[in-house]
Amino acid sequence: MSLTRRDFAAGIVAGLAAPSIITSARAQASTIKIGMCAPVTGPAAESGGYAIKGAKLALDAVNKAGGILGKQAELIVEDDQTTNPGIVLAFSKLAAQSDIVAFLGSIRSTQVHAMAPDVLKLGKPVMIGGTDPNLTHMGNQWLFRFRPNDSYSGRVIAEYGVNTLGKKKWAILHSTDAFGTAGGKALSAALEKLGSPAVLDQGYANQSQDFTPVVLAIKQSGADILGSYFTFENDLGIFARQLRQLGVNIPWVGSPSIVNITALKLAGPALYNTYGVADYAEDSSEASKAFGKAYREVAKVAPDNQSSWTYDAINVLAAAINKAGSTEPGKIREAILAIKKFPGAEGEYNFDQNGDGLHGYNIVKNDKGNIAFDKHIEFTD
Amino acid sequence: MDLVLQLLFTGIGIGAVYALVALGFVLIFRATNVVNFAQGEFSMVAAYLMVVFAVDLGWPYWLSFLIALAGMALLGMIFNLGVYYPLRHRSYLPVIIATIGASILLANSVLAIYGPQPQVLQGWFETPGIQLGPVYLDSQYLLIIAVTIALVIFNYWFFEHTLLGKKLQATSQDKEMASLLGISVSTMIMITFIYSAVLGGLAGILVAPILFVSIQMGSTIALKAFAATIIGGFGDVAGAIIGGLALGVIETFGAAYISVPYKDGFAFLVLVAFLIFRPQGIFGERVAEKA
Repeated sequence: MSLTRRDFAAGIVAGLAAPSIITSARAQASTIKIGMCAPVTGPAAESGGYAIKGAKLALDAVNKAGGILGKQAELIVEDDQTTNPGIVLAFSKLAAQSDIVAFLGSIRSTQVHAMAPDVLKLGKPVMIGGTDPNLTHMGNQWLFRFRPNDSYSGRVIAEYGVNTLGKKKWAILHSTDAFGTAGGKALSAALEKLGSPAVLDQGYANQSQDFTPVVLAIKQSGADILGSYFTFENDLGIFARQLRQLGVNIPWVGSPSIVNITALKLAGPALYNTYGVADYAEDSSEASKAFGKAYREVAKVAPDNQSSWTYDAINVLAAAINKAGSTEPGKIREAILAIKKFPGAEGEYNFDQNGDGLHGYNIVKNDKGNIAFDKHIEFTD
Repeated sequence: MDLVLQLLFTGIGIGAVYALVALGFVLIFRATNVVNFAQGEFSMVAAYLMVVFAVDLGWPYWLSFLIALAGMALLGMIFNLGVYYPLRHRSYLPVIIATIGASILLANSVLAIYGPQPQVLQGWFETPGIQLGPVYLDSQYLLIIAVTIALVIFNYWFFEHTLLGKKLQATSQDKEMASLLGISVSTMIMITFIYSAVLGGLAGILVAPILFVSIQMGSTIALKAFAATIIGGFGDVAGAIIGGLALGVIETFGAAYISVPYKDGFAFLVLVAFLIFRPQGIFGERVAEKA
């Protein structure tokens, strides 16, 4: 049998088309993939484990309810090593998988800043938990935030301290990374608006082994209340102990890390009677209670914001893709921005055009190690 | 003045921790001419051993302490046999790289076994500290300072007044000559690794109630301790102690009077200054003079 030129051409075409047809057929039958960059190793590995558990809990519920676009959803986790280079590498690995439709990024603003240029280049939706206000205000339309940003936390800390606790002389302590700097600035601005500018605005480098100079500076400033933005629980634990040991017992209202379970375990009684702004407070709504109950059963630990934001991100993302009826990035984006009055574990989601889903915070109190919900402060501007 | 005293106490306390780890660096360097980059991980492993024995198993603190140190001695022995001994005839570079590899292995092994959660280890004393006039003295820092002073005395006695100490010194000064005099160089190096691992472990156990027990605790301390050894004079026991204490005091005062966020910067600024103006450190000899 002789091979004609037509047979040869047909063979080539068939050969070239086959992988594409096979891939397409496989894609038809495959799952909907969601990528997640999470700290599996590094200083935040413990909270990273909680974040993954929260996301998986939501994913299981979504799959039980019929999945996304009628398919089962799958979570692909890459370790971001709790570092900026780590998350850039993790995201590039995930981005290389073209069948991943959307991603979960970091709860740490500094890491989100590091990965943001690649997110913009890829052009697919990324859910984030970092609270630096700039993240959703720097022209990157693919970042969607599932925690209230620090302009709200700063305002809530200031308003609670000044108007509810009646304190006017503030010391601000913040880490010098993107999260801490942005938070410190937001709190400082809010205090100035309320007519109580801070008497001390002190930054510190992450992973400090000693806070004696900081505590002594607070003592010398004559502050009657402390507002803080700590990134790592180790630092918070060391500082809290030294603060109490050196006899500083002024009221303390902190960013969410002050009420997370790792900090409570490490600092123990040194954090009793402190207040925290908490995006997740178990008793703040029915949706929060339901998440808390389900999470406790699965994870065997108390829920906190590390797990609640990823839980909400998966639920909102699934709802948005189902509503969009497509995995096309632009359509998912429009569907997320259209979400209003969505009851989540963190609160009620009403996305604005910047990609911020939440616009207020809860205030909670550490009552001998138990976190008690106090009040919710919401902003509409 | 109250402020100065408080800062001085804290600076000496944290400096003593650096000094203990730096001592481990120096002893191994003297015996083998290589830097052991797993020295910080020795501290971390010992702290986790304490958590296992004293917290998880609920054994008495003193018993847990002794078993943890015995465990560190065993680790030092294994480290010598597994990391240094097979490479002893190679140049210093493969050995240094092997110690870096071993440090990664140790950190990740603990991570795999114990998980990433930071742990709380109570201090030796129930009282967290005492108020002495205007200065608060943390009981754990007091213990660390006391142990450092005791170790300085012990090291002096051990290296200057015992036969074993003199054999160790002879080995560190000239291995070939020591061998010709009938000293078992391999045994001396083995003893050095064991002693260094125990010292590193001791530092880890002492500092754990202050810094908590975490995978990163060793590397954080080791970096400063390494700087302390260079400032003190690489290879000099007294230099390691003085270098560690100086570093602790400088960074604490620098943070208080100049800038808190650049606290680590002061330590490394001093290091750079020494490398430029006095590379042999405070107590080190000039290399040219040695030759």
